[in-house]
Amino acid sequence: MADLSIAVRQAGGVAVVLPAGFINAHTVRDFEATLEGLVQGGQYRILINCRDLSYISSAGLGAIMGLIETVREHGGDILLSNLQDNVFAIFDTLGFTQLYRVFPDESQALASPEAGG
Amino acid sequence: MDHAQFRLIIPSQTRYLNLVTGLAKRASVVAGLDDATAAKVSIAVDEAVTNVILHAYQGEGHHSVELELRFTPQALEVHIWHSGQGIREDQLVLPDPSEYIKHPRKGGLGLLLMSRFMDEVRFRADEDSGRNECCLIKKIS
Repeated sequence: MADLSIAVRQAGGVAVVLPAGFINAHTVRDFEATLEGLVQGGQYRILINCRDLSYISSAGLGAIMGLIETVREHGGDILLSNLQDNVFAIFDTLGFTQLYRVFPDESQALASPEAGG
Repeated sequence: MDHAQFRLIIPSQTRYLNLVTGLAKRASVVAGLDDATAAKVSIAVDEAVTNVILHAYQGEGHHSVELELRFTPQALEVHIWHSGQGIREDQLVLPDPSEYIKHPRKGGLGLLLMSRFMDEVRFRADEDSGRNECCLIKKIS
């Protein structure tokens, strides 16, 4: 099994990104390229469903942070859902739960005003 | 031997990060740490080894990184040795998370995660061997 696989599907006007596995300095380029591809294609409402994400290092956080200003300047946002405890701990320890909206599950995220719901 | 220890030497390539973090997580559990703490130790080790590969060795993959795990009654110690560019503790500046939130940007968060998730993080240069060490310590409560 690869360290990381990434699926993307559309839910209304929101691109739902589903990373599965580990995001670290080795795999982050794929994750970053996926997000950049969406933004370059004019997709500014992005939900990262972390249901199958086992692990994220600061390299992965950097990939998200590198795009947050751009998407918000275009009226969009990057939302997070279904964080496993250890992934939540990283975001929360660094105070990033104040920067990103974190939802318990995908349906609640998609129903939020930030997702246009 | 008054405490258990063993060593692992890997090439300075990020493809081995998952191997190292998996080992760190399992070692933490063996040392008596709970699963949540073990996950934090593995992230701290990931960040430390990533720093060595990408910064100390500037991404060159033909060097080596040596990890030594020491199990003592009081703590799990992870010592990471390399021959690249060292970090001087007196030049370390940890980023302020509140500034990151105000001005999001890439990079600089690894050291912060290491310091938040471990009880002690030390950097030192060994003049005799010419190598540099990053030492991560997690106390066993």
